[in-house]
Amino acid sequence: MRNILAIAWREIRTYFTSPLAYVIIGIFLALSGYIFWAHLVRFSELCLRFGSNPYFLNQLNVNDMVIRPLFGSLGIIFLFMIPAVSMRLLAEERKTGTAELLFTSPVTTAQVVLGKYLGAAFLLLAMIGVTLSYPVLIMTSNASPDMKPTLVGYLGVFLMGLSFLGVGLLISSMTENQIIAGVGAFGVSLGLWILPWIAESATVTLASLMNSVTFGLWEKLHLGLGGPTLGDLLNKMSFVDHLKDFQKGLLDTEHVVFYLSVVFLSLFLTQRVVDSQRWRG
Amino acid sequence: MIDVSGLRKVYGDRPAVDGITFSVGRGEIVGFLGPNGAGKTTTMRILTGFVAPTAGTARVAGFDVQENPIEVKRRIGYLPEHPPLYREMIVRPFLRFAATIRRVPRKDIASRVDRAIERCGLQQVAGRVIGNLSKGYQQRVGLAQAILHEPDVLILDEPTVGLDPSQIREIRQLIKSFAGAHTVILSTHILAEVTMTCNRVLIINEGRIAADETLEALEARGGRTRRIVLRLARPGGGIEDQMRGIPGVLDVRREDGQEGVFQVETEGTPEVSERIAERAVGQGWGLLEMRAITLSLEDIFIRIIQGEAA
Repeated sequence: MRNILAIAWREIRTYFTSPLAYVIIGIFLALSGYIFWAHLVRFSELCLRFGSNPYFLNQLNVNDMVIRPLFGSLGIIFLFMIPAVSMRLLAEERKTGTAELLFTSPVTTAQVVLGKYLGAAFLLLAMIGVTLSYPVLIMTSNASPDMKPTLVGYLGVFLMGLSFLGVGLLISSMTENQIIAGVGAFGVSLGLWILPWIAESATVTLASLMNSVTFGLWEKLHLGLGGPTLGDLLNKMSFVDHLKDFQKGLLDTEHVVFYLSVVFLSLFLTQRVVDSQRWRG
Repeated sequence: MIDVSGLRKVYGDRPAVDGITFSVGRGEIVGFLGPNGAGKTTTMRILTGFVAPTAGTARVAGFDVQENPIEVKRRIGYLPEHPPLYREMIVRPFLRFAATIRRVPRKDIASRVDRAIERCGLQQVAGRVIGNLSKGYQQRVGLAQAILHEPDVLILDEPTVGLDPSQIREIRQLIKSFAGAHTVILSTHILAEVTMTCNRVLIINEGRIAADETLEALEARGGRTRRIVLRLARPGGGIEDQMRGIPGVLDVRREDGQEGVFQVETEGTPEVSERIAERAVGQGWGLLEMRAITLSLEDIFIRIIQGEAA
């Protein structure tokens, strides 16, 4: 544990003693801040225009119209920015030779991977943490947003960010070129993001897919050809689909488990990849 | 302290290390000598657990590198060819970090870091960013990182590469001061380094051990000369054949470019030299000079690398 924390702490130090953390948090704040402001202005305009009409006034809800769209935007900004955080994690260690220090020290590969991941996760937490100021800002005004669904939304965005980070770390472990690690992480994350679009055209059922893979054996065993389609499966794997309930303020274990599984799987694979590099040299 | 047996590492289909066996006792300073690409770095990386061997075993302090990597790594201090430094970090925090992951007990970290800083002469730069230090200081930070946890075994990969002469001297002094307490393996392709710091030499070439000797034994090879240089005033034709007739003479070669100079390959006994001298005087060749060639370490090294018998 001490080793993991030492590695994570060193990572965090590096973020905050170099311009990296400030540039990333700064850009993140500028973009999300503008989006928040734009929604807020539109909301207050609507309030001014229709505030006198009791019917419309009931429809106006600061959670639905300002905060919920914010989470969607935060997700998109994450999609672009997390590869920039994750790309250097292991690739840079390999490139500069500091990997030799880490992997000849009495620490396990898992400890190194976990330490690196926790360090980057902290940066993510800092990025999200500063945006908490937005809902707090609204609270100081007359509008009183419901905080519980807001916090659930934040949890969702953070979990999704952690998943992106896991995928990025895995790709960073495969190369010593940071550009490849960054572009690769972005490509894979984007792919996972847009899975629903692909899913739409994948109407073939999983059962019939299995049937053709097994050369008709599936059908002969009377396992049935109906059931969920490939598209349904892909939809379940989409990063953005699992965020939707969080955005609405619904805390569903299905989604929490999904994101945590992605994190666990990618950390596990990263550990395997790094271990295997000892054999290749 | 270190036992290596039948070590092999193959990259693709090219063996980098091809069946190396040796052992190093406690307190020895051993030099790995060999041309670039001979397999020195790979051997060291296997010993430190950074790279896994294809075949063979390596044991450090009784622990197998593959089976007990953590125990081995606790006992090893390693300075790779490129010192593994986080360039954006400040020297002292970096050393504290290195001490932590090297499992120095928390209460000892401050004192060990101070000690390493002092031993490596880093007092003046302890508060500076590593990336801004000169190559010499960076190398010293690398060395400090390797000795922090007071390891039994110190493995240094080309510790003086890229330093200026005075820095090289300081680093060598430092390495020498480790003798006795630590077992040191250092690699180099500079012969002088070995003669100045080590008491034993392992010459590695093309992934194999070409020689494993103490420095004295290696130097003694140069003394057992088998070559004699002759300079004659009247080097007529047929002299080579006449000399080849002397019992104990194996070969005679006329040196190109130098008038009247011959190289004589002998069996190496004093009697042969005597007979050659007698013949030269007796035949009236005008013996101007006759000397035995003692090989320098450099020559011996090159001959070993080239596979000749020195």
